[in-house]
Amino acid sequence: MFHYIMRRVLIMIPTLIVISAVIFTIIKLPPGDYLSSYIETLRQSHEAVDEQKIAFLRAQFHLDEPAWKQYLYWVSGFIRGDLGYSALYDLPVSQVVGDKLLLTFIVSFSTIVFTWIVAFPIGVYSATHQYSLSDYGLTLLGFLGLATPNFLLALVLLYFANVHFGISIGGLMDPQYLDKPWTIAKGVSVLKHLWIPVLVIGAAGTAGMIRRLRANLLDELQKQYFVTARAKGLSPFRALIKYPLRMSLNPFIADIGALLPHVISGAAVVSVVLSLPTTGPMLLDALRSQDMYLAGSFLMFMAALTVVGVFLSDLALAWLDPRIRLEGGVTR
Amino acid sequence: MRKLLPLLAAICLAAPPAAVLGEELELKETPGLEEAVKDGTLPPVTERVPTAPLVVRPTEPGTPGGTLRLLMASAKDTRMMVVYGYTRLVTYTPDYKVVPDIAQSVDVENDRIFTFHLRPGHKWSDGHPFTAEDFRYWFEDVASNKKLYTAGLPEQMMVDGKGPAFEVIDSETVRYTWAKPNPMFLPALAGPDPLYIYAPMHYMRQFNAKYTDEKTLDELVKQNHVRNWAAMHTKLFHPYHTDNPDLPVLDPWVLKTKPPAEQFVFERNPYFHRVDPAGRQLPYIDKVALVIADSKIIPAKTGAGETDLQARYLRFDNYTFLKDAEDHNDYTVRLWRTAPGAQLALYPNLNVTDAAWRRLNRDVRFRRALSLAIDRHEINQAIYYGLAVEGQNTVLTESPLYDPAYRTAWASYDPKQASRLLDEIGLTKRDASGIRLLPDGQPLEIVIENAGESTEQSDVLELIRDTWAEVGIHLFSKPSQLDIWRRRVYSGATMMSVDKGVEDGLVSADMPPDDFVPTTQAQVQWPMWGQYLETKGKSGEAVDIPDVQELQKLYKAWFAAKDSDERAEVWRKILKIHADDVFSIGLIAGVPQPVVVSNKLHNVPQEGIFNWVPGAFFGYYHMDTFWLTPDGSNQASTASPKG
Repeated sequence: MFHYIMRRVLIMIPTLIVISAVIFTIIKLPPGDYLSSYIETLRQSHEAVDEQKIAFLRAQFHLDEPAWKQYLYWVSGFIRGDLGYSALYDLPVSQVVGDKLLLTFIVSFSTIVFTWIVAFPIGVYSATHQYSLSDYGLTLLGFLGLATPNFLLALVLLYFANVHFGISIGGLMDPQYLDKPWTIAKGVSVLKHLWIPVLVIGAAGTAGMIRRLRANLLDELQKQYFVTARAKGLSPFRALIKYPLRMSLNPFIADIGALLPHVISGAAVVSVVLSLPTTGPMLLDALRSQDMYLAGSFLMFMAALTVVGVFLSDLALAWLDPRIRLEGGVTR
Repeated sequence: MRKLLPLLAAICLAAPPAAVLGEELELKETPGLEEAVKDGTLPPVTERVPTAPLVVRPTEPGTPGGTLRLLMASAKDTRMMVVYGYTRLVTYTPDYKVVPDIAQSVDVENDRIFTFHLRPGHKWSDGHPFTAEDFRYWFEDVASNKKLYTAGLPEQMMVDGKGPAFEVIDSETVRYTWAKPNPMFLPALAGPDPLYIYAPMHYMRQFNAKYTDEKTLDELVKQNHVRNWAAMHTKLFHPYHTDNPDLPVLDPWVLKTKPPAEQFVFERNPYFHRVDPAGRQLPYIDKVALVIADSKIIPAKTGAGETDLQARYLRFDNYTFLKDAEDHNDYTVRLWRTAPGAQLALYPNLNVTDAAWRRLNRDVRFRRALSLAIDRHEINQAIYYGLAVEGQNTVLTESPLYDPAYRTAWASYDPKQASRLLDEIGLTKRDASGIRLLPDGQPLEIVIENAGESTEQSDVLELIRDTWAEVGIHLFSKPSQLDIWRRRVYSGATMMSVDKGVEDGLVSADMPPDDFVPTTQAQVQWPMWGQYLETKGKSGEAVDIPDVQELQKLYKAWFAAKDSDERAEVWRKILKIHADDVFSIGLIAGVPQPVVVSNKLHNVPQEGIFNWVPGAFFGYYHMDTFWLTPDGSNQASTASPKG
């Protein structure tokens, strides 16, 4: 076990190095750099191009130096924990990201909780009442949520919320609470705005979870031990919860690894449409203007979280399922 | 592309001091600041306003107070408050006269000696005096400092490569002297994004190596995450970009929120130098709150009543929605004019690298045929409800240089003649689907690229596609990304683009014809020629079409012209060449701009021009005189027409 853990931790390092190289290359791929897109935006709006500011930015972000040097500057920064300076926002990256992290976390966490709360009972019900009318009905609902374009659903809900409930359009709170300290009123305002993104992003996620839980549970429900338990007189509900449900939880624990970066990044498209102050739109803007430090550092942050998250979920899985502990890692 | 405005009116500008108005100006304390004055944190208004303030006569005298809400799309839009506030050394009035604003008066001799007289008692937004020292600091310790201005003085201050001689006459007078006339100087100072020739010395000196010791500087450099003190000085002195709440300014509203934020609050500048005739210090409005939201959602938010004054990010196609939402909101939608020579124009790239397209684009018969094959009336009716003006990309009706012939040249819908012209060029062969073939067998498929930033362009191109198909031309629309599109244009990969027409269609004879002559790489119909002139021959290509060479000669002639009439003659020649040669195929112009104004907001003109140049958006209309109905009273603003 110890060897397994050590090996996993050591492999993380080359993985992250390769990821950083890939991120850097892809962000640098489009012709031009942050400055060229900045200059063209100025020209398009007929504003004067301040030569002095351009020269200053060029030096600040080492854009006049060869690509490999820029890569080294960037890597040496975030290894030390210095995420760098964002050209787009004119602020240190940690400040830009840190500001949005709390709200991103709130949205994503609520979405995940919502997805689980909705999908779990539906999945179990679908499995136990296989091929019934309600099974088909609930599955249809789940698939509708998956098939409807997120942004369309978001816009429709936005409209209804504004017209019927008077909720302000977009954002996560009423304008008067922006940048003010947290109070009950501010919390209530956030809740009022929160249900739309949670509903929209969650709707897509529930379908997948419902089907997976249903499939896994159905497999378990056919097995001998469950039939024996029922035959021995164990109540159906208790028998279900104590044995097959636990067996079918494996995919969910494995998913936790992928959850961490998801929580941080937030669904980008829906956030853009709803104008949420989360990290999704920030990343999108950074990528579009080739802001190397903001986009690259943030992506590395997410990559690190993914790698660590997957590792943790593997550990959790090993703890949960003795079969993995005893058999896995031995078979080559 | 800087727009330059008349300098004739700039000879000897003097604003009438308050005393000349015939009454002694009795200053009244600003209600929002009374508390601070009582506490002693602020001096009384008589000491805050300069001894000779600028008196601005508003359409309707206002009540101070209130918070104005605006919607913006990014933190960088805080610079819009500098544009809207429009406080400059000299400013333009809506009838294009240059008058002093921050300066009390300006003496101009032969267009080359400029003497600025400041207002005694004028203070920065933090209470420190605003004197000639601030000009000296900027000129000697900032602009002439090779570490801060690596490329030398700004180009508007260079004439024939030489900068001015700068003198401080006394604590309120400075003089700039050039060897030759500098017609760009005053327009640069008065522009929407101005040239700043002053800096708050008392604040900036702590970041300048000349005045602060190395140890303190190093500390500050570390705190500000920059490489060296020069970078820090540049970063903290951005009066146009307003990202530093500690920087003292002279604008009517001062930024109080430190970025990043979702809402930026600007509070009134207690030391602002303008007053109304009743002695109340301007601005009337106490606070301006800029809420940042995604640009695509701003029309929806405006329709939900979340803003008091909005025009930026509203497009004409939002008009019906906004008008409809008037019923359940407390605002009205006005339609202002925009000033570009054309809302949309097609630009065949005369510098395209592909030989076949190059030959075609340079053939004037081809450009004329393309123009004749467009049904502008249909476009106007379908997309702009018939409210736009159809025609070529040229000056607008209100301009003194206007001639209907320029606008209608080759702008009628005449597919037969278009066909005939194309046949004349030699494009007579057609393929199975009726599309003409080039001499080498390629089908005549024109790819029109654009920045992909508005659906308006795609809609218009759809309509053009149908009419061009009738004469055998196939149109492909290629929306792209802003800087990718521009790079392709500059390198000659694009054969045709669609973009806005000339920025300013309301030119008069005394404005330089920059937009009609190759002057910069940014002009998408001749990027390489523009680059050649911009870099003075270092890169790009020299002009090789006789008519465009003629344009260059006329441009030089404009600068050499002795008076207004000569300049007008030059202009007419330039406009005639453009009308004949159809270098850009204009579609429609004069598309109205919806401006949403809350019913509580007064002194906003019913009709006006919403444009960058001229206009500085709301700048020309004195946003400092806009005022809000105090809460509790049900006085709505009456729509007052303003010339």
